[in-house]
Amino acid sequence: MTIEEGVKYVAAAYAIILAVLVIYYFMSARRVTALQRDVQLLEDEAKRLQAPAGEAGAE
Amino acid sequence: MKKLVSAPALFIGAGVFLITGLMLAFWYSPVDSSSMGFSQKIFYYHVPIAETALVAFGIAFVAAVAYLRTQDLKWDRLSYVSVRLGLLFSILVMITGMIWGKAAWDTWWAWEPRLTTFLLVCFLYAAYWVLRSVVDEEQRRATYAAVFAIIAFINVPITFFATRFLPEGLHPVVISAGGTGMEGSMFVSFFISMIGMTLLLVALTRRDLAIENLKDRVTDLKTSLGG
Amino acid sequence: MNSQRGGAIDQGAAGAPVRGWAQFKAIVRKDLIRELRTRDMIVSMILFVLLAMVIFHYAFSVKEGADLTYFTGGMLWVTFIFAMLLGLNRSFAQEKDEHCLDGLLLCPVDRVTIFLAKTVGNLVFLLIIQAVAVPVFTLFFIERSYLGDVLPFLIVLLLADVGICALGTLLATISMNTRSRDLLLPILLLPLIVPVLIAATGATTLIFAEGAGLADLLARVLFLLGFDAVFLVAAWGTYDFAIGE
Repeated sequence: MTIEEGVKYVAAAYAIILAVLVIYYFMSARRVTALQRDVQLLEDEAKRLQAPAGEAGAE
Repeated sequence: MKKLVSAPALFIGAGVFLITGLMLAFWYSPVDSSSMGFSQKIFYYHVPIAETALVAFGIAFVAAVAYLRTQDLKWDRLSYVSVRLGLLFSILVMITGMIWGKAAWDTWWAWEPRLTTFLLVCFLYAAYWVLRSVVDEEQRRATYAAVFAIIAFINVPITFFATRFLPEGLHPVVISAGGTGMEGSMFVSFFISMIGMTLLLVALTRRDLAIENLKDRVTDLKTSLGG
Repeated sequence: MNSQRGGAIDQGAAGAPVRGWAQFKAIVRKDLIRELRTRDMIVSMILFVLLAMVIFHYAFSVKEGADLTYFTGGMLWVTFIFAMLLGLNRSFAQEKDEHCLDGLLLCPVDRVTIFLAKTVGNLVFLLIIQAVAVPVFTLFFIERSYLGDVLPFLIVLLLADVGICALGTLLATISMNTRSRDLLLPILLLPLIVPVLIAATGATTLIFAEGAGLADLLARVLFLLGFDAVFLVAAWGTYDFAIGE
């Protein structure tokens, strides 16, 4: 096999590796931000619900 | 939590090592003198990925044992995160292995030790996922998964051994890692890539673990709000 | 299901090992008696194995008088493995439906004893099947005289059987308690069993095709021995968790 043909295969192999890893990295990054946002929203909601309930309970 | 999740240092570190390894592989290490020729360059990532996959399964094994001893679900989490990453890396091993096989020996598949073993490894840990998906109760799922992760990991070196040494006269193709005793320059590139892959595994594991913890937190919050 | 709580499973005065042995015998006896009384599992497995051999003949005989000598090991062990999957599923499903295992767990029985007893029980079933299947197999597929090869073959057979039964028992215990039940067992067991398959089929083929003796088969036999040792210990250590509630 000539160098040129070899290069095609080697390039393909490395390209696949990098593509898969990079895609996985970005997908998980997106997951992280989405989840952190959800946690923030839910925590705010919880705090909001506690405040009026506290007032109502005090009365 | 934010610090744990982003941990950019690990990813950057991994990236640095991987790219350095890549450059060394192509511009520092010599082209392989065997008949494989240029396609041997695939080895510099292929083998580190393979070894990293095995490290991931090893982590899953240790975590499984820890879970069985402590019944603490955080170990179960680490276990299945590691299995998932190990499976991802194993699939990459298969793909790059097949490409290497085609480049070096003009065949997309050969029943040679490494490809066969990783094929079985993929089946084994895919079975792990199936097992997890058919048990509904959390502690029981974690227990069964842990037992299987332990058995599976013990089976991996045994399978390596069996596929390599037992069949006789059934070695049409052997993709060797440049023979025993790598030249010094080959070893450097290989080693740097190896470190890079391992760092990447650690970085991805931490992030995936954080994702699972976040998911858990979301569920807890939803329950406490809804209930 | 009072039978398993009677008699031998009892607070013996002689101490744990003796009690364990008595419990072991009791469980094995209970399983064997239950199966031999109805015989449906064994009969089904035997029929399956014989039918499989007929199918193998037609599956492989594309050419007139095709020589299947080097396929013998493969055919035999594939048949046994699939028969074992059927048998394991059947016996554990029955146990679960009749809640035998729950009853057993209420007794002060060491989990490991249960594991060994179940494994031996399954091993006995497998050996019974094989005792019928192998002579028929040699009738169908082996031309040359094979009487001198009996000993190596039996050793390989037994060693491979132990490995299959040990892992099969452990995994069947797990899979029976999942949603998929019997569908899950092959998926879990087959990948783990491949090394045994490699060693056993190689050895069996060499025995039948070339009359190989123990000396030629040493690597495979030692491998099977090692496999059995490793996984008996591993199953030993984890069975408590597999069966626990």
